[in-house]
Amino acid sequence: MPDRFRSLFRADTGQGQRTRGNTVFWILSSTAAALVLMGWLLPWFVDAYSAGAGFSPQDALISPPTGVGTILIYVLAVTMVILVASPLVEPLARLRGTTFGRRADRIRLIAALVGFALTVVIWFLVSVIQEEPLFGSFGPGTYTDSAVWLTMYGYALAALVYGARPWVVGRQTLAFGIAVLPFGIFLPLMFHQAPDFLDWAAGSLAIYMLLALGLNVVVGFAGLLDLGYAAFFAIGAYACASFASPTHNIHWPLWILIFLGAAIASLFGAVLGAPTLRLRGDYLAIVTLGFGEIIPDLATNNVFNLTGGPNGISGIDQPKFWFLNFSTSPRWYYWSLLLVSLVVIVLLRNIERSRVGRAWVALREDEVAAASTGINTTTTKLLAFAIGASVSGLAGAFYGSIVSIVSPDDFSFSVSIAVLSIIVLGGIGNIAGVILGSFILTFVIFWVLPNMNEWSTTLSQTVHVPGLAGIDFSSYTYIIYGLALILMMLLRPGGLLPSRARQIELESGGESESLAAVQGVA
Amino acid sequence: MSEYKGPPAADPGALGVGTSRGGSAMLVAQSGLAPRHGRAGGILGGLGPLVRLLQGWISTYFSLLLLGMMALAIGLTGVQHGVTLMGEQIKNALVLGAIYALVAIGYTMVYGIIELINFAHGDVFTASGFYAFGFASLFHLDSLATGSFGGLILALVIVFPLSMIAAGVTGALIEFVAYRRLRDAPRLAPLITAIGVSFLIEGIMLVVEGPDNVTTHMASWINGEAFSIAGVSVGYTDLFVIGMALVLMFALGAFVRRTRLGKAMRSTAQDRTAALLCGININRTISATFFIGSALAAAAAIIYSINYGVLKWNIGFHLGIIAFTAAVLGGIGNIVGAGVGGFLIGIIYVFGGSLFGGEWSEALIFAVLVLILTFRPVGLFGVEVTTRA
Amino acid sequence: MALLELAHVSKRFGGLLAVSDVSFNLDRGEILSMIGPNGAGKTTAFNCVTGLFPITSGSITLDGEPISGLPPHRITKLGIARTFQNIRLFAFMTAVDNVMVGAHWWMKERVWDGAFRTGRARREERSVEQRALELLDLLGLSRYAGSYAREMPYGLQRRLEIARALATQPRLLLLDEPAAGLNTQEKKELMQLIARLRDEGLTILLIEHDMRLVMEVSHRIVVLDHGEKIAEGSPADVRTNPRVIEAYLGTGASNEMQSA
Ligand SMILES: Nc1ncnc2c1ncn2[C@@H]1O[C@H](COP(=O)(O)OP(=O)(O)O)[C@@H](O)[C@H]1O
Ligand SMILES: [Mg+2]
Repeated sequence: MPDRFRSLFRADTGQGQRTRGNTVFWILSSTAAALVLMGWLLPWFVDAYSAGAGFSPQDALISPPTGVGTILIYVLAVTMVILVASPLVEPLARLRGTTFGRRADRIRLIAALVGFALTVVIWFLVSVIQEEPLFGSFGPGTYTDSAVWLTMYGYALAALVYGARPWVVGRQTLAFGIAVLPFGIFLPLMFHQAPDFLDWAAGSLAIYMLLALGLNVVVGFAGLLDLGYAAFFAIGAYACASFASPTHNIHWPLWILIFLGAAIASLFGAVLGAPTLRLRGDYLAIVTLGFGEIIPDLATNNVFNLTGGPNGISGIDQPKFWFLNFSTSPRWYYWSLLLVSLVVIVLLRNIERSRVGRAWVALREDEVAAASTGINTTTTKLLAFAIGASVSGLAGAFYGSIVSIVSPDDFSFSVSIAVLSIIVLGGIGNIAGVILGSFILTFVIFWVLPNMNEWSTTLSQTVHVPGLAGIDFSSYTYIIYGLALILMMLLRPGGLLPSRARQIELESGGESESLAAVQGVA
Repeated sequence: MSEYKGPPAADPGALGVGTSRGGSAMLVAQSGLAPRHGRAGGILGGLGPLVRLLQGWISTYFSLLLLGMMALAIGLTGVQHGVTLMGEQIKNALVLGAIYALVAIGYTMVYGIIELINFAHGDVFTASGFYAFGFASLFHLDSLATGSFGGLILALVIVFPLSMIAAGVTGALIEFVAYRRLRDAPRLAPLITAIGVSFLIEGIMLVVEGPDNVTTHMASWINGEAFSIAGVSVGYTDLFVIGMALVLMFALGAFVRRTRLGKAMRSTAQDRTAALLCGININRTISATFFIGSALAAAAAIIYSINYGVLKWNIGFHLGIIAFTAAVLGGIGNIVGAGVGGFLIGIIYVFGGSLFGGEWSEALIFAVLVLILTFRPVGLFGVEVTTRA
Repeated sequence: MALLELAHVSKRFGGLLAVSDVSFNLDRGEILSMIGPNGAGKTTAFNCVTGLFPITSGSITLDGEPISGLPPHRITKLGIARTFQNIRLFAFMTAVDNVMVGAHWWMKERVWDGAFRTGRARREERSVEQRALELLDLLGLSRYAGSYAREMPYGLQRRLEIARALATQPRLLLLDEPAAGLNTQEKKELMQLIARLRDEGLTILLIEHDMRLVMEVSHRIVVLDHGEKIAEGSPADVRTNPRVIEAYLGTGASNEMQSA
């Protein structure tokens, strides 16, 4: 098992490793706190009108205890307070020079386990005995279900981080994966009452995660800045649209089209990359930006009558395998995308650790030395480009099928920047970071901002501040991208979850010239 | 530093790599002594020299090819649509070119001095257009400018310096906040920040000014026909636009060549360390570069506003890329080149549009950008320079 | 036939003729040293041989085949490996990985092998890693196998560069001032290493300022000054050559040369 040994080697810079591990620990424990808190607040927050319908301790405070469930809720509230406060209190304590010992961890573990058990019990009480008036109904249109799920997930996560702290700190990536994967799998079940949330999860989260994984190969692994990444996304989407819509009267199944989209996109990646990859880094960036603008331009101008002009191609097929009818619920898309993402993640991780992955790092660190050590810089870069593009094409094929209409506006520069922001935010070159980044950014941009419009309107009516109504929060998208890029680069260039070497590398600076610069080609 | 205990035993003889440990281990792999035939690299290997030859040929004659095609495009327009339209288009190209030239200078100056593609520059252009609009409404310049000739002059004398100073401060501030700390970081880092700044500025303008076109009323400041030749009517606005651009460019040229600060800029661009050793204040020089570049962008934005009368939150993005193309065309870092490149790009934009249809203009410019960077990254007039290995 | 042959090679940077009409041969198994004052064009000559710079005129052949104009990686594949004067390691890769990069070109693993971790890929990874560790071991670096290259002491970084070069399975090794910055003990070890490489049949082209080392290990010496070859011959010849002494006059090395 050379891999085990290699990870042993890599773990040798103990300090950096610990810091990173602690970051993961902190992220996971605050996520647990947030989930518990959200489970607590969600019914109240989202269903402001269904008055009290929900699963929330504050209701218990308002109405006198009438049964077992209510009393249990007091206990539950205690566990919630402990877990919600922990991630805030702990850094504060560290600032003051004291640390929490094993005992504190054990208390929190117990709190988490108790909370988890109580949640199950209360849920049972609610759904079977229907103890009123504390708990709202589970009927459609309420979020009680989701609240219960989130609470349970939060408790489980808390149990994991506080129960196995050294392990979480030591094996951060594994811990991160174990913490995140069940959430990914159960998401459609947890939020089955909120179809628009599932739409977000499939159409934004999963798609952008795939895109970010692909761009991470180019920017993170190989160190090439690609600003026109949306072009390959567009190519995949248009390929899928052309082969599965009434436009050309071809109807191929999606599972063929995703491979086709990937293949065509990677072909384009290779063709576009071949003449330009010799260029210096910043020139390459601007050339890719040019490509990223040309491709939607071509689509708008309806080249060869293939793309349907500014209106794009509509009526794209949504697949239907025996009982899986993709058009009825986004959940099937979501799960397919999850599966595809997992496969992509595994493959990319393997590649990262293989001969080619090593060559990418070498290239990123010192192109001249890499070339003199026998690495063909052009084909190695081209490979990164093609692989990145193929993942993007794959995402594009799915995207076309999900939204059922593609038009040039879907692939503007801001898409490329969104994907770039995701990897910069999450951690350039680190797959776990990319996943985290795609969750955070798509949640803010594609879920919170669009909904803010509605929330603020509601709020303006409730508190009678007319100014709050009618603010178009989606117009803040650009500001968020901009701030994410600037602040991360200035304050934490490695991203939230930096890759091992990347953090020190970006901070210590110093970069070698590219081969092209040395040879005077560019 | 933990002692490495060695890997577990591997299967011996895999791929013929010697695994014997101890005295007989070899540093030099035996296969290394065998003759090798690494020459032929597959199918593409044979094509390599041909491709290289072709690429070399195109690189050498790129300038001629491009200029020839531009002349051809102008001629074709004349044949297809008549001489009057051709003249009209030449005028339009010069007006557009003047604006591109002014913006391109900002790109080229910044790139010349810190080797950064300042993505935010195009948005500084837009922002300063809005500054000018703001000053115009603040001081009621519209009525002043349309009242009398003297009023117009006064309005211009007010709006130009104020907007240019405001834009200059914005540019210098951007450098101070976003780029200065990353000056010695890997190239990618400031580039990403620059994109961030660009998006931030666009986002702010989107929130403040809204998503639609904003009419600035400046289009009514200057009007009337100055003269007409061969049926082409040349307005005072056109003269003003081109004249103003030329005046500013020559002023900049004189500044860079004559003044101490200009000399400091040139020496910093050549070799920052050496400049530092000569006692030049690098930070101040770089700030000044951003200030001047942004001020010129502001002038371009006012001219734009006077000529077209509308602004929009995101015009700076595409305009910026086009101007950057102009800067590359003229040889990045070369101020005169940027000026000339701006006018050339104006011609390509306008005549490409009249030949292939306006919807292709922008794609055409991007294609030109890709072609220049691929075949002749040093620009039309540039000489090849080799950096150190 | 000579292994490496430079015939009338020139390299011009703008107005500066950094290498001017230089010719020399390198026979199999030979150690040839290139000496000359700073700025004489020695590193530039290396860069020309390894394909980093296109040459202005002349020809470079390896085993009778012209190699000028080939990209650097092709030249490496033909069997020329090098180290750099200003160490160019992959700073944020571990020492083993640095050496394994040297094996890149001759590894058979394809992308899909890596992606699916096929048995073949894993076997090859393992044996290459083994070879890398062996090289590190032989160069006395096994203690640092898992450290990032930048964390290693300076002298060992130089040796790691040699290990990386050896991993490419070269026939000809170009060393650019390998003794720069080393202490006496390290220099002695370096000398032994070079002798051992020679014994194993490697041909070496060496740039070095340390005259004692040069005089000891070289079979022949080529002297460059202002880009031109001013002398060539055995260490004894070169030592007494008046043009060489003149070129070196006042550099301190001339005294050293006499005493070496
Ligand atoms: N990439 C380059 N561009 C321009 N001049 C160079 C470059 N590389 C080296 N030179 C010049 O070529 C001459 C020879 O340099 P070099 O080969 O490094 O000398 P040496 O290795 O013998 O000390 C020096 O004058 C140096 O300034
Ligand atoms: Mg040298």
